[in-house]
Amino acid sequence: MNRILTLVKIDLGTTFKLSAFKHKMKNRNDMIQMIILGVALLSLLPAYILMISGLSSIYHAYLNMGQKSMFLLTGILTCQIIELVLGILYVMGKYYFSNDLNILVPLPLRPKEIIGAKFISLLVYEYITMLPILLPFIIIYGVNESTGILYWIYSIMILIFLPIIPLSISSIIVMLFMKYTNIKGKKDLLRTIGYIVLIIVMIAFQLKLQSVAERAIANEDFLYKIITDSTILVKKLGIIFPPSMWATLSLSNLTSISGLLYILLFVIASITVFFIMLFLSDNVFFQGLIGNLEVSTSRGSTKVKPKDFKKQYPSYISIAMKEMRMLIRTPVYLMNSIGGVVLMPILMVMSFFIEGEQSLSMIKLLMENNHGVVNLIGAGFIVILGFLNSVCCTTFSREGKYMWIQRTLPISARDQIIGRILSSIFVQVIGIIVLYGSLAYMRTLTLEGVLVIAILGLLGSIPTGELGMIIDAYRPLLNWDNPQKAMKQNLNVVICMGIGGLYVFGVGFLTYKLMATVDMLIIYGIIAIIFILSSLILYNPLKKVIEMQFNNLE
Amino acid sequence: MLKIQNLSKTYGKGKVKAVDNISLEVRPGEIFGFLGPNGAGKTTTIKMIVGLLKPDNGKVFLDNIDVWENPMEAKMNISFVPDTPEVYDKLKGIEYLNFIADVYGIPEDIRQDRIEKYLDIFELRNAIGDFIGSYSHGMKQKLVLISALIHDPKLFILDEPMVGLDPKASFHLKEIMRQRCNEGKTVFFSTHVLEVAEKLCDRIAIINRGKIIALGTMDELRKHSEEKESLENIFLELTENE
Repeated sequence: MNRILTLVKIDLGTTFKLSAFKHKMKNRNDMIQMIILGVALLSLLPAYILMISGLSSIYHAYLNMGQKSMFLLTGILTCQIIELVLGILYVMGKYYFSNDLNILVPLPLRPKEIIGAKFISLLVYEYITMLPILLPFIIIYGVNESTGILYWIYSIMILIFLPIIPLSISSIIVMLFMKYTNIKGKKDLLRTIGYIVLIIVMIAFQLKLQSVAERAIANEDFLYKIITDSTILVKKLGIIFPPSMWATLSLSNLTSISGLLYILLFVIASITVFFIMLFLSDNVFFQGLIGNLEVSTSRGSTKVKPKDFKKQYPSYISIAMKEMRMLIRTPVYLMNSIGGVVLMPILMVMSFFIEGEQSLSMIKLLMENNHGVVNLIGAGFIVILGFLNSVCCTTFSREGKYMWIQRTLPISARDQIIGRILSSIFVQVIGIIVLYGSLAYMRTLTLEGVLVIAILGLLGSIPTGELGMIIDAYRPLLNWDNPQKAMKQNLNVVICMGIGGLYVFGVGFLTYKLMATVDMLIIYGIIAIIFILSSLILYNPLKKVIEMQFNNLE
Repeated sequence: MLKIQNLSKTYGKGKVKAVDNISLEVRPGEIFGFLGPNGAGKTTTIKMIVGLLKPDNGKVFLDNIDVWENPMEAKMNISFVPDTPEVYDKLKGIEYLNFIADVYGIPEDIRQDRIEKYLDIFELRNAIGDFIGSYSHGMKQKLVLISALIHDPKLFILDEPMVGLDPKASFHLKEIMRQRCNEGKTVFFSTHVLEVAEKLCDRIAIINRGKIIALGTMDELRKHSEEKESLENIFLELTENE
């Protein structure tokens, strides 16, 4: 246990850069950056407050239905599902692709000690992700119900144990997945495809359960039960993820013995699943890992032919090709960028797929006469994917220790911008193709849609890409030991999503206002002009930041 | 060729003077050795020449072009080989070399000739289709050397280039350095291997605690030293006295 704690201490220290943070607070430039970051985060506060007041009305709605405990279940279930899905992403990078493995594996440590330490570090991440979501639920319920001290004690226990089961399950799934995909040859490709399928299957499974639960409610004498049992909704919907139901029932049955039994069940189940995961890790972790650190080599068999030298490209094309190769060949980047743009459009149609033809025909009916709106939503979706795919807002961070190459070469800021935007466009094109597939499945794809989504989607991806690059060039995260940190655990992604989200919201709002009075073709034109103008406006500041940072970075 | 004027760099809010007001000039056709104990300021100076570290004070000129005022123009004529060869591990060797050649705008036929020539010299031809991640430290070092020679730079800067190279590659590198100087180009390198510096360099500078404490040809250095034998003795004497 001591060894696990030592590992956790080192891991948290390096993950959150505690010593670097102390150093940063002394440096004036870094201090200014931290202040700007603080202001950026504060700017998200109004939206957060709005969300909390929205939650408060949801509470009252459930209260009026006599199902107030559903409010707690909503919060707890949302958190656990998010943690389960995020867990899969985090676990993969943390357990299998972090650079510290080269140091840890040769040390006399048991797999369960390495995994135990990594698990605890990830827990800290999950707490940070979870608290802003769950706390409003707990507080709104607690304050409105004027509950006693026991409620808060149970709540703290729930907060502490909440991520353990989802993260343990993610760990088990990923470890088994890595063990059985550890096949020589096309391992990276196999794993990436498998990984995307895994996430789709998991979400499909959740949706299926939800639909089964909803049908169960519809089939019974529901009105009668809803009056007699104030936790009937929780019990029906809770089967999606039973631990969430146990946690909710412990809080809604505070004063009775069943409340105590539920909290005990929740805690014991969490601990049990954690130890099962740990036990399993001792047997399967190395089997998935070994061979992961080695790189395939074929000395001599892949002969270089003269034609390999016969391709001269302009600098920006060469940068774009380099970026694309790195994105495709680094599993963590591939999963987060291309994986993301492939997943999102599929997830969008998945609930219709699960619900069957009935829901599909409703959507078709709804959209039949609104093709223009569908096209705009599709284009907006692609623009949003542009910053969700994190390609531009981590483009310099991903250089990491290789940044010296870019900085010592005579590459102009213009070429850097064009090359890197092109690599993002490449990812976006894949997203567009998958979106076409999804829309075709929903039978809402038209030729006009194909054109509008491609043109507006790609035009809109340029300013959001530039915005991401400004943020990333201004505060690149170069000192990382795990590519996951450069991409998914990079605050630049969050900042970019916040500002990019506001931008898309602004354009969306304007479009909405115009729709009542202006012809759809003109709206397309206006949006295209806005995108082109914003690209031109952002270009110069971006060029300046790149030139400044390429000179000033240390 | 290379002119450094009053170059300074401090770390930690000016508490640590890594490089303290140094000036020197390297002429065309010269191999210039930059020596000094660990932490003396060698790498910091080199990073300021190649554009990786902005000087607090002072200027760096390459053929009268201010390296920090006109970085693009200067970088076209410089190439840099760092002490740790960190190269994109997910690219293949040939992809990396083509990327570098594209950036310098090297035409196809010239790039093929040069790449093939250096691949043969450094015996890397068989590995060039493999991912760089599979290379050993020495192979990466060779790849960086080749990439630094593709555009035939006027100024070739190397930080501890012999570390990690096998004796044969070391020998060839020294040959290349000498040959470049015969063609009127310049080589500037830092090293710990004093024998290499002694045999190879036209002039040598010794830096200690951020200051240049000796500068000149081997003969000139000998004159300033009581121990008039090897560079090793001169080096130890000078750095001890500081």
